[in-house]
Amino acid sequence: MAPLLQVEDLKTHFHLRDGVVKAVDGITFHVDKGETVGIVGESGSGKSITSLSIMRLVPEPGRIVHGRILFGANGQPKDVVKMTDEEIRDFRGSDVSMIFQDPMTSLNPVLRIGFQVREAMSAHDRFSDEQSKSRVVPLLKKVRIPGAADRTKAFPHQFSGGMRQRVMIAMGLSNEPSLLIADEPTTALDVTVQAQIIELLRDLNREMGTAIILITHNLAVVASICTRVIVMYAGRIVEEGYTRDIFKNPQHPYTWSLLRSMPRLDAARHSKLLTISGLPPDMSNPPPGCKFHPRCRFRVDRCLEEEPPLGEVGPNQFARCWVLMRNALVTQPEKAAAAEVPIPPLTAEPAQIDQRSEPDRPGAVKA
Amino acid sequence: MTRGTLLYIGQRTLLIVLTAFIVSSIVFIGVHQLPGNAFVGERRTSAASQQALLQHYGLDKPWPQQYGTWVTGVLTRGDLGESLKQRGQKITPLLLREARVSVSLGLFAMAFCIIFGMGLGILAAVKQNTWIDYVASFLATVGYSMPNFVTAFLLILLTVTGFYAWSGGNFYEDIGWGKLEQIPVPAIALGLLPMTLITRLTRASMLEVIRQDYVRTAWAKGLRSRVVIVRHALRNALIPVITVLGPITTGVITGSVVIEYLFGIPGLGKEFVSSIFQRDYNVVIAVFTFYAVLVGLANLAVDLVYPILDPRIRY
Repeated sequence: MAPLLQVEDLKTHFHLRDGVVKAVDGITFHVDKGETVGIVGESGSGKSITSLSIMRLVPEPGRIVHGRILFGANGQPKDVVKMTDEEIRDFRGSDVSMIFQDPMTSLNPVLRIGFQVREAMSAHDRFSDEQSKSRVVPLLKKVRIPGAADRTKAFPHQFSGGMRQRVMIAMGLSNEPSLLIADEPTTALDVTVQAQIIELLRDLNREMGTAIILITHNLAVVASICTRVIVMYAGRIVEEGYTRDIFKNPQHPYTWSLLRSMPRLDAARHSKLLTISGLPPDMSNPPPGCKFHPRCRFRVDRCLEEEPPLGEVGPNQFARCWVLMRNALVTQPEKAAAAEVPIPPLTAEPAQIDQRSEPDRPGAVKA
Repeated sequence: MTRGTLLYIGQRTLLIVLTAFIVSSIVFIGVHQLPGNAFVGERRTSAASQQALLQHYGLDKPWPQQYGTWVTGVLTRGDLGESLKQRGQKITPLLLREARVSVSLGLFAMAFCIIFGMGLGILAAVKQNTWIDYVASFLATVGYSMPNFVTAFLLILLTVTGFYAWSGGNFYEDIGWGKLEQIPVPAIALGLLPMTLITRLTRASMLEVIRQDYVRTAWAKGLRSRVVIVRHALRNALIPVITVLGPITTGVITGSVVIEYLFGIPGLGKEFVSSIFQRDYNVVIAVFTFYAVLVGLANLAVDLVYPILDPRIRY
């Protein structure tokens, strides 16, 4: 079965006066129907630009310069990159919806909540005017807004942040899209509200079968709802695999460092929290070779010269690291890897992790 | 309209009355400090007849007393007094007649500067960094740097060859004022400067709003571009533009003083200038106070438009 969304070698570059910023540089991934995929990375890793590229909402002077974004579960998949203005308009909010980081500023302050939800439906022909009108209150109820019927006439400033994010979700789901992109939906919210929103997303995913791409830097959020994780660094995918595998057995040094820099309740007392030294690279002048090598404590000479391809480091787990490559199952040249990235079969259970490998050390690939 | 709004209007109206009182007092004091009086230099008059005139109009009395008489007249009879120059001419009907001329000119100028200013500003913002934007911004900068009397002369020069002939030369006082086709040219001369101000402001405000998250949300919903621009961006972008409409009204009023003089339009502005030169005290005070009330009302109108545009504002 063809995936719902297939992104192939996507490159989104920003042409500035003093050079090109390759915000997203050749990423390939897919999302299946009803699946929840997390994209993780630091600020500036290109995760938001990836999601905006799927919506064709990349801000100026950014441009999708290469690649395909194939969307469509049934019948012919369409390439989002090649859609006409009218096609992309009808695609946004109807086939794929997006909710954003800051609910405080994402709703129009001068329009009523109910109107903003209804408007999302009237922009597309899935529902008649009558239906759109009558769907507003049930939608607000679905995202658990208390007293939904009385609150359609309210303005955004009369809502709290969590409530506004619920309105955004209701708006996003109003046309029953098959994919919802949530770009850091909980970052601006406090922890209890975060948990509620994540729970809501998970329930909606189960009830409505809406696939979700969850973009976040919060690994706990990923662990709680995503089936698969994509780790991005400097515009590239550095590791990809099932959540369970990645959390148990991170392969790429970056993923490993990310997981180690997360406070854990089960950690040994007084153990030091790891910080990743250095800063993410300046994307207008990225380092040669592996983009992570300046911050990597496991680097070898080859890392400084040549960029590693994304290689299979375990069953359905892929990472971009030379240190792993020595043991890795494939070491294809970059281009071949991009052209035919193996799509992990959905049904396959993540294989048994080799117990001898120490889960905390990268490069601990099964023998 | 809520009770709060009515209360607010009441308060503001009281403030306007108070302002009018203060303005008229200051002008009353100021105008009497000017050297000479209304009867100096009018043909050759004997000292005795001068004295008789001053006595007739009560100008020989101490000015607090004069002011008292004037205020009583205004408050009890709505009588602004009598012109000292145009003998026997009551100021109230004079003011109303001339105000009609000025207000029609002013409204035309306001409509011109709002419609074209906003239109050009929106166009420049939506087409940012294209030739449309550059042309609009260039025009706005040129227009903004040009005093209205220069604009007026250029327009006269321009229209004398074309529009003048078309309108049958109906531009000038001696032919009379009151035909509709006479209004546009002076109105443009009057409205060009505020128009460029609105253009620049609308452009800047639109550019800021277009980058807002909620406009991105609107695009992400799949709304048509016209809906995004007008309903989501423009409505928010207008709030700061509305703010300057108050000061712009003031600008149009003061601008009309020059424009009416240059075009020979028998309005309040022209009356204002000549009354000062002629020391026609009562007319000066009346026109000045009228302007003060007009500015107050314009600002009140602007403040009443706010809550319609922005639901976060309530009175």
